[in-house]
Amino acid sequence: MRAPAPVRQGAGTAGRSLAGVIQRVTASPLGAYQSAVVRIGVSATYLLFLLRELPHRHELYGPDGPWSWDMARRLIANNDAFTALMWSDGTLWFETVYALTLVSAALLMTGWRTRATSVLFMTGVLSLQNRSIFMGDGGDNVIHLMAVYLVLTRCARVWSLDARRASRDAARLAEGYRPARDVAGPALWVVLGCVLLPATVMGGLGGTWWLPSLLWVLWLGNGVWWVLNRHAPDHELRVLSDVLANLAHNAALFVIMAEVCLIYATAGWYKIQGSRWQDGTAIYYPLKLDYFTPWPELSGLIASSALAVMVLTYATVIVQVAFPFTLFNRRVKNVLLVIMIGEHAGISVLLGLPFFSMAMIAADAVFLPTVFLVWLGHTVSQGRQRLLSRTVGRIRLPGQRRMGTVDEEAARGGGGSGHTLVG
Amino acid sequence: MDADHGGGTGNEKKLAWPGVTDRPDQAAGDDPAIPDVISEAGSGIPPGQTDAALGDTASGPVPGSAGRRQGGGMAALSLPYQIAAALALSVIGLLACAHVAMIFLHVAPSNTLTKQHGEVVDDWVFPEFEQNWKLFAPNPLQQNISVHVRAELADNGADGSRITRWMNLSRDDGESIRGSLLPSHVDQNELRRAWDFYSGSHDSESRPNGLRGELSERYIRRIVMLRLAEYGYGGTVERIQVRSSVRSVGAPTWSDEKISTRPEYKELPWWTVTPSDLPAADVADQAPQARNPQAGKAEG
Repeated sequence: MRAPAPVRQGAGTAGRSLAGVIQRVTASPLGAYQSAVVRIGVSATYLLFLLRELPHRHELYGPDGPWSWDMARRLIANNDAFTALMWSDGTLWFETVYALTLVSAALLMTGWRTRATSVLFMTGVLSLQNRSIFMGDGGDNVIHLMAVYLVLTRCARVWSLDARRASRDAARLAEGYRPARDVAGPALWVVLGCVLLPATVMGGLGGTWWLPSLLWVLWLGNGVWWVLNRHAPDHELRVLSDVLANLAHNAALFVIMAEVCLIYATAGWYKIQGSRWQDGTAIYYPLKLDYFTPWPELSGLIASSALAVMVLTYATVIVQVAFPFTLFNRRVKNVLLVIMIGEHAGISVLLGLPFFSMAMIAADAVFLPTVFLVWLGHTVSQGRQRLLSRTVGRIRLPGQRRMGTVDEEAARGGGGSGHTLVG
Repeated sequence: MDADHGGGTGNEKKLAWPGVTDRPDQAAGDDPAIPDVISEAGSGIPPGQTDAALGDTASGPVPGSAGRRQGGGMAALSLPYQIAAALALSVIGLLACAHVAMIFLHVAPSNTLTKQHGEVVDDWVFPEFEQNWKLFAPNPLQQNISVHVRAELADNGADGSRITRWMNLSRDDGESIRGSLLPSHVDQNELRRAWDFYSGSHDSESRPNGLRGELSERYIRRIVMLRLAEYGYGGTVERIQVRSSVRSVGAPTWSDEKISTRPEYKELPWWTVTPSDLPAADVADQAPQARNPQAGKAEG
């Protein structure tokens, strides 16, 4: 780990570089693009999952599903898990929670009021998954963890509607206008408070102490942040709040990265102990399991080659064990990242685990290099603008003067709107 | 670990978004007004200003009005606030490290530390941070485990017998998964994991261990009744019998290993179907679900 650039020009003493690191983790949320891509990936995965399971939602999580509401209640009484679905066994409530989770996933993906929607998303994910814990698999597990960690990040600095709003307001300010009046934010805050208070009082937030605390800290913190920004933007408390949010973000990002490393390390190191992974046949067996062969011919084709099976088996173990260590070398890490993302894309089709694979790719993305993400975002926004200007041009051809203002706006807000990868 | 995180340099960000980075001068200049812009939704300072903040670290952590206005972070705070921030830094840093350590101990094999302090780890990790990444490890599953069921009907069936043939419910799952790009949890996880749950919460003589054992039995019965309803047996079933079939995956053709692929069956005792085993019967006043219209009949 090398000291941050600004510090190098100083004497380079330990004290100064420590101060530099402290300044760096307190002054800004690091990994703006990485956290944004994790946010988009995780929420998109769950959004697609919820859409896919829409016809099966009652069987999976509904009050009358095979894992009935009453059975869930008895199990949860023993494990302290949180699920809002325990608040009522009504079908209407279930439909509401499912719909809210779906909407919050979509909003989180687009980065609209991201802090609030990330809390809603976490609540939804925990509610559905904890309601029927025997329905999930590794993919659900990844989403579950990431949903909790994302709440603590400032993951909407780029590629989000929030970022676009902020840049538009900044542009408006620069031109001497007042920024647009914000109604949705405070309204959302009040509504969430109206849910949080009774939920806490009635003990509906599960048996852990940290979940209610986290929700209250976030809710109060956002209120304080709003007041400070509005009435005391120059006050040091505002800078302190910013520092706290940055610290939480950077810590959460560190935890996300450590979590991904632990996932691979666990998966890899346990495999080393298995005889099938040692003799190079392990990959053959999942390819013959009925539950994991959506394409038996394709699976059979791979399974029929001793060499392919052996290479894939060893490569899987090597890559998984090696990954955490390659983080110390950018180039090797990036090569491994490509391999792992490719492997997950393969697993997605071959073993029929699309949502697990997508969730893992989303989590892996936290290690993607900034240059690549920036390039990716730029390419997407350029393509989008080209598409947009073509349609705008077709619609507004007669009014040349208005056309001019549109172009100007596109040029000015280009960065902002370009950030909304999925806007 | 931050080999590339945060870009290693602030410059990388500047390549990116002309629309945003063209504006840092404005952002920094209009600082006092900016906060009005920002919602409480956590978007914080605009990205343009982030770069300014990073640049400002060159001046070092010297508290001062200039630093306070342009940058953020520790350097922009006066001593009392710096102390508060330093406290927060230590607490948050410790929490993050403790969390990672707990997760590590949770996923690591049982060791001297977890043998002594396993409860601390469990208290931290359960219920929301539970995880298991032994994916196909240490060895992948090498058997196809399927769940079969047969039913005793109230009336004689079409073939004149009251007891139906064995129906392979797992094969139905497999058929639903076949050719699907997006297999459903209903097909891929429901019965498979329910049977895992059942096996894990019963001893070798099929005796349930406590609540989990009891719940898992009921879960299997409800899944079975749901599936039987799809076969059209919903409201007429009096008793059901479940068996598992464990069939090893045959040795690869290119291997000289010999593995018997004959299925091994394990039959459970007959279970009498009660109203609580019918998926839609929990809430009697609610309409039965679309998926098993027959299930409601059994109540009447």
